[in-house]
Amino acid sequence: MGNVERCDKTLPTNAMMYHVRKDAALRARWLTDLEGLAREFGLGRAEYEAIRDKDPRRLMDLGVHQYYVPQILRLFFGAAQNSNASAALECYRRAFPRETAEAMALQERLDGRRG
Amino acid sequence: MAEIVAAMAMTHSPGLTGWFTRAPEDDQHLALQATAEMRRRLEAARPDVVVMFSNDHLLNWPINNVPEYTVGVAAEHVGPADWFDEWLAMEKYRVPGHAPLARFVVNEAARHRLALAWLREMQFDDGISVPTHYLNPDARFRLVPITMNCTVPPIPTPERAYQVGGVLKDVLRAYPGPERIAVVATGGLSHEPGGPRYFWVDEAFDRWFLDLLKRGDHQALLRECTLERMEEAGSGGTAELLAWVLVLAFTAGPADVLAYMPAVAWRSGTGMVVWNELAS
Repeated sequence: MGNVERCDKTLPTNAMMYHVRKDAALRARWLTDLEGLAREFGLGRAEYEAIRDKDPRRLMDLGVHQYYVPQILRLFFGAAQNSNASAALECYRRAFPRETAEAMALQERLDGRRG
Repeated sequence: MAEIVAAMAMTHSPGLTGWFTRAPEDDQHLALQATAEMRRRLEAARPDVVVMFSNDHLLNWPINNVPEYTVGVAAEHVGPADWFDEWLAMEKYRVPGHAPLARFVVNEAARHRLALAWLREMQFDDGISVPTHYLNPDARFRLVPITMNCTVPPIPTPERAYQVGGVLKDVLRAYPGPERIAVVATGGLSHEPGGPRYFWVDEAFDRWFLDLLKRGDHQALLRECTLERMEEAGSGGTAELLAWVLVLAFTAGPADVLAYMPAVAWRSGTGMVVWNELAS
């Protein structure tokens, strides 16, 4: 099965993200007190460090649900229209260089086909 | 008794509102044209209520307790949820619900041995907000949202979605009122939200899936389009097509594919489909 099957449904980060997305006060603490937030939700050190380092590969290896990974990056960088110049895409480019390069090449081919 | 009067499906990619102009102009034009045609056909069917089948992106339920299906039973719905305002580039909108119908569905489905969770204040992300923006922007149709799980293991199979669609078709038709009901599936096509292939779409899969809909052979689609095949075409996202498979159970015959765009810029294979014939 696919990547989504790798998620750990019991991982504290997955529980934390559900609450952070819904709560403006928690979101406000993301940039000022991430470590305190992680402690309150019972995250392990590796989870905290993967979030701090904005590393999609480590996050997914730990069992963070893939759907939450871009949302974690949005808490750092904002939405930025999910563009190819976004900081979030740069994080994916570092974590998954082959997959992201293939996707960018595909987009170039498709844009060319229309152009 | 209530009557099913229309069945259609469309992608709900947040790019369709949030960063629409980042896609090639041809795709923008095609998407606008196809959604306008869907809206024209929806209005021509004169529904009183739209039952919209989408999926919950871990917004309404925490990952430790994800129901298979959830019905929004509010008298009025408000969207999008705050976290999605900027993402979808949308102002808050309000749509009247249909609480008696929604509550009937929950209870009658239980009598058919189908468990549906329910929420009085369902929060909306792109799954409901994007199709509402294009198909019901003036909130003229009442809305009953039904979300499904297609991202948290165990993910239901297409066979299961089709079976649930058959039950819900009978349940909706049994509603003791004169309501005309349109069913709309939202989600898909190929994409892998947040996964290693986040920025990829699988055009070959998308065209193959849409061809299956054009053939109108439900059993062939269920035989060939397995959950495994969906996951290969984009894990955790392509399976949003389970909503389309559910709505397939309300239909008969071939679907009209109004548009397809392999819109990498919107981060999703993007398509719009209408069925002309409804199941007897």
